[in-house]
Amino acid sequence: MIEARKLRKVYGHTVAVDGIDFQVKPGHVTGFLGPNGAGKSTTMRMILGLDLPTSGTVTVDGRRYQGTVWPLHEVGALLDARAVHPGRSAYNHLLSLAAANGIARKRVDEVLDQVGLTSVARKRVGGFSLGMLQRLGIAGALLGDPGTLLFDEPVNGLDPDGILWIRTLMRKLAAEGRTVFVSSHLMSEMALTADHLLVIGKGRLLADTPLSELIARNSAERVEVRAADPGRMAADLRVVGARVTMEPDGTLGVFGLGSKQIGELAAERGHVLHQLRDVTVSLEDAYFRLTGESVEFRAPAPVAA
Amino acid sequence: MSAQAGTAPRTSASLETRFRATARSEWIKFRSVRSGPAVLLATAVILPVTAWLLCGYYSHNWATMSPASQASFDPVFISLRGIEGAQLFVGALGVITVTGEYTSGLIRGTFIATPQRAQVIAMKALIFAAVVWAWCTLLSFAAFFIGQSLLSGPAKHVAIGDPGVLTAVFGGGLYLTFVGLLGLFIGVLLRRTPAALAALFGILLVLPVAVGLLGGQISAQLAQFLPDGGGEEIFKLLHGGAYTLGPWQGFAVLAAYVAAAAAAAFLLLRRRDA
Amino acid sequence: MMSETIQATPASSGRRAAPSALLRARAALCAEWIKLRSLRSMLVTPALAAVVCVGYADYLCWRYTQRWHTFDAASKAGFQPLDVNFNVLVIGVLFFGVLGALVVTNEYGNGLIRATLAATPQRGLILAAKTALVVLIALLSSAVICFALFLTGQGILAGHVPHVTLADPGVLGRVLGAIFYLTAASLIGLFIGVIARSAAVAMTCVFGVFLVLPALLNSLNGGAWRHTVPYLPSNLGDALWLSHTGTGSLASPTVAALGLVAWVIVLGVLATYSLRRRDA
Repeated sequence: MIEARKLRKVYGHTVAVDGIDFQVKPGHVTGFLGPNGAGKSTTMRMILGLDLPTSGTVTVDGRRYQGTVWPLHEVGALLDARAVHPGRSAYNHLLSLAAANGIARKRVDEVLDQVGLTSVARKRVGGFSLGMLQRLGIAGALLGDPGTLLFDEPVNGLDPDGILWIRTLMRKLAAEGRTVFVSSHLMSEMALTADHLLVIGKGRLLADTPLSELIARNSAERVEVRAADPGRMAADLRVVGARVTMEPDGTLGVFGLGSKQIGELAAERGHVLHQLRDVTVSLEDAYFRLTGESVEFRAPAPVAA
Repeated sequence: MSAQAGTAPRTSASLETRFRATARSEWIKFRSVRSGPAVLLATAVILPVTAWLLCGYYSHNWATMSPASQASFDPVFISLRGIEGAQLFVGALGVITVTGEYTSGLIRGTFIATPQRAQVIAMKALIFAAVVWAWCTLLSFAAFFIGQSLLSGPAKHVAIGDPGVLTAVFGGGLYLTFVGLLGLFIGVLLRRTPAALAALFGILLVLPVAVGLLGGQISAQLAQFLPDGGGEEIFKLLHGGAYTLGPWQGFAVLAAYVAAAAAAAFLLLRRRDA
Repeated sequence: MMSETIQATPASSGRRAAPSALLRARAALCAEWIKLRSLRSMLVTPALAAVVCVGYADYLCWRYTQRWHTFDAASKAGFQPLDVNFNVLVIGVLFFGVLGALVVTNEYGNGLIRATLAATPQRGLILAAKTALVVLIALLSSAVICFALFLTGQGILAGHVPHVTLADPGVLGRVLGAIFYLTAASLIGLFIGVIARSAAVAMTCVFGVFLVLPALLNSLNGGAWRHTVPYLPSNLGDALWLSHTGTGSLASPTVAALGLVAWVIVLGVLATYSLRRRDA
């Protein structure tokens, strides 16, 4: 389990992480979401003892990382796939990490096999593609068979096969009782992989909930209705207490009533329906709703040509 | 795709516009990375401080020096000897101006923006040379005046108007500029920082030592054809010794090395992957 | 060298038995060795140093035998066979300084230092392991180089010009002194590398300290300079293997050895502080 208490990091005048508290529990895949510059990478670096917190503490299984001897057996991390020396072979890169923590040579071969890099193990890393570097980084995280895993953007550069593979791997690791902490921007992936979410914005924690609850709480679930006579349909719906919005093309958005009820009401009143559709909110919508004000770096909306 | 208002068709941008664009880009790159200003600052410290230390020393000990050493004392050269230290920094800056881009992978973005690679390197060299020359010439003058003010009185000193002095002081700025350019082109050739620095320092600093170890006449004969041995003639006032070239001939030696490195660099630039 | 496989501990079995200090030290050293031997550039540097130093020194010694007949009586009387042989170390020391620096700077440019620190969060241990490795490599290579220098160089000089053997008084001490100096230079390079972090800055400092600074300051010998210039690392090193004849103001060999140790310790303390306190 990863636990942070009033964790704070200040660089000069910038507050990167503003006194956050959270727990990342074992047995789940916990997603770490947030806009760019929100403090995700800083938090992960502090968990690993690479950056020293300005105040507050963060521990893994009750201990600070700096005090842990041979930590790769307890915590495996993929932070930056390019943190390798280009002149070295993949095998030797992993071997040096393994040796540092008393991990056997044979384990290096095992993890290389697990990530599918055995055929290029002896090649110089400088020639690797981004996808291959990601796999190498994942191999490094798995070396010590650790109980806690941290991944920063693990699917970056992977092809669809690779994405499916890592998703399955992360779920398997969590099912084995390990703590899996994943930071990602890929909403669709997060929705499929994570059970629990931490959302951070401008250094502050915005949400710490199971995935389903986040979507439900920030959802704007509605039913889309297309009718032959939209105006009359909207009036009838409002009479029974639903909130109705109307698009320029006549499509109605109905809030507060289920599609079953709307269908029966339409039948009762003799409306002809062309479309009756439940619109469920995606994680992306929930995320945007939640982090709306706290986006640090936002591109202006593109102007239609 | 519909044409957007206000942009001329890109293919007809003139050569001059393209050059100017590349130059502007290279200037922004130079001034926005810490190493550029840091090296300029270091140079601003080394040149005056060395002048102050050395000239103060000789001024203090003038009376105890032998007539022969007094006669051969070169007040301009001694004021400018900080150049021997500054050349390390300026040369290194030349190297990392190029190798920094290769290491970070930025070079790909640069060559994508401007596929005419020779143009990019030429502009880089031009901007670098312009900035370094202006700055180092200024500092040469500063070091010169500091040195002469300390030497005045008992010790031998000169005024800026004396024959050969102006050339020598300007020569200080020129020398450092060309050392920087040597580093830059070696950087293009070797592309990795440690190797390029080793090569530059090897040619500039180690080769003279190796040649010096040879002893005898041949040592002096060869030394004048080395980039630092030949090059430093340009910021000396006195050109004594059997095997010294004059100021411009000596500088031509340094320039020849730079030209050779540049030629090799431009040749290989086209043929190699970025 | 040492075995590269350490007994694997059972994976994810909850709390493992904590590895002993000796095991941890061995593991850290082992990792550093693997990192060094798996990079061609790091293996090339000592090899290049050997070829350049021994080759050029032998050439220089041969030249002296050819030119001997042109020397006047005073030059012949003042001829120092060991100085002439070992002068090339002025260049050789640069290889060692750069090697020490690269052991560290190789990890900073590409962010590899984060993986190293993640594997071994005890930063003092990492520095100690790198130090131990650099000492071992430097001692070994410098010993090979210095003895090869001596044996081949004196061998070339013998029969034509005055030469010395290891049996002559003080000679062995001077050869050992050269080995000591080259090793100390590697450590100075290593600590400069830790503090500077970038290869460019570290290499510039190494060349500046060992080559440029003495060139600029060695001609100064009045007043305060007499008390400081001899204690530059390069001058201290020279004092260990150069003959102490002539008008130079070299420190005595004992003082020189202590001085180099002091340089190494001071820089080592600064490096430790720098590694521990700064973000990765």
